[in-house]
Amino acid sequence: MSDFASGEEKTSKEVSFSIGSGESKAEFSGIDMSLLEDSLSKTPWERMLANDDALNFAESLRSAMLQHNAKS
Amino acid sequence: MQNLSELLRRLILAEVEFVLVGGFAAVSHGVTLVTRDVDICCRFSEANLMRIQEAFKDLHPVHRLRPDLPLQLTPEQCVTLKNLYVKTDLGIVDCLGEILGVGGFEKVLKDSIEVTLPFGKCRILAIDALIRAKEAMNRDHDIITVKHLKVIKAQIKS
Repeated sequence: MSDFASGEEKTSKEVSFSIGSGESKAEFSGIDMSLLEDSLSKTPWERMLANDDALNFAESLRSAMLQHNAKS
Repeated sequence: MQNLSELLRRLILAEVEFVLVGGFAAVSHGVTLVTRDVDICCRFSEANLMRIQEAFKDLHPVHRLRPDLPLQLTPEQCVTLKNLYVKTDLGIVDCLGEILGVGGFEKVLKDSIEVTLPFGKCRILAIDALIRAKEAMNRDHDIITVKHLKVIKAQIKS
């Protein structure tokens, strides 16, 4: 990514090298590999429970934001 | 408060014949995108649909597209249904007779894996079939889910 940010013209070989590994390709696609690896360290059931936690937390945030917007 | 995990547990304890598909299946494989409902592909027999109804009977289940209608299936309705969309106190369960990109229940069952959960065994659509299903849907969030699944597949192989 930093190669593109530098603005310098890169050869196709250098571009291929910078996104050559599987992990680099995933980061380049915008996937947070640290989050994914954390998820893969859990059992399927733990992943499902984590989804429920995240879902309910998102709902509570949404509700709080609605209340905030209603006041302002 | 939603509790998709509890909805899944009830389906298993009620011995419903189903395969977990959709976003919650993707979560079980490791995808970190949050999903808001449980999608299952199930056998659309009267007995199986009645088991689903029994699993959720104390959760005030209604037809999701007609929330004024409580879930009270009749044998006649069971014959005609191809999909069943249920809203409960703990969240939404969409019951599908077939999955685009994969096929009907028997095919989905063949393309599923068995996972042991704390309260019993659960059949979940295998990652390759889930990728096919999501690619067939081709909505924006399905495309993102496919990216995640492909990375997970590569991680598992390595």
